[in-house]
Amino acid sequence: MSFKTASEGYVKYQGLGNWAFVLHRLTGLGVILFLIIHVLDTAAVYFKPDLYVDAVSLYRSPVFGLGEILLVLSIIYHGLNGLRVIYFDMINPDMWTIEINRKSVIWTWIITLVLWLPAAVVMGSHILEHLGG
Amino acid sequence: MTTKRVEVPQGWEAFAWKWMRYSGVLIFILAWIHVLIQDILVGVYQIDTSYVATRWSGGFWRVYDFLLLFFAFSHGMNGVRQVLADYIHSAGGRRALNWILLILWAIVVVVGTIAIFAFTPPAG
Repeated sequence: MSFKTASEGYVKYQGLGNWAFVLHRLTGLGVILFLIIHVLDTAAVYFKPDLYVDAVSLYRSPVFGLGEILLVLSIIYHGLNGLRVIYFDMINPDMWTIEINRKSVIWTWIITLVLWLPAAVVMGSHILEHLGG
Repeated sequence: MTTKRVEVPQGWEAFAWKWMRYSGVLIFILAWIHVLIQDILVGVYQIDTSYVATRWSGGFWRVYDFLLLFFAFSHGMNGVRQVLADYIHSAGGRRALNWILLILWAIVVVVGTIAIFAFTPPAG
């Protein structure tokens, strides 16, 4: 299968499996963008300690706090959906049917939300505790 | 409906495809523990230079952070490569893409690795 076939196929098939795929890419791209910044700002603790202090104080702002909550959502979803794809691809390829795919995508989203909500509450309460100082 | 099985030619792209899956299982463990500790249990309001100094006072978390950096960043950059390759159809364009991402990958991994192992707590 050529990449061109693949990309055209993505557009024609618009089921839940396709949305799981699109979200997997978007969350992956979001996490790697953050990861580049995160590795470099953490490396500043060795290369330029003053800059590290500035970076951490930026991460403590409410806007970055909300971004962090979305980052955790992305990581939970990307990880669970990734395990789902790995299981299908490597262990049980017969599960790659539209119906099983659809059901497993719904379960992936349910488990994602169940794990994310308590994390979001904890992180959100940290933000509220530190509002205004 | 049955699943169609196809023979995939073995080469770098097949290796990269498998790499995403094997490294994915490892990152699932490493990254989730990292996020649980740093983002949820500790939180950014308690993270500062002295926290890093405590965390990196022994070898365990340095090795842990290096493994997470290496596997997560390699997985992520290969993911970026696979996504962009779906939109770049010329062989030359893909070759350029591979080199640019390889260089960016190497810079970030080297910078991060030096910081993890060379860091010493500031005096005082």
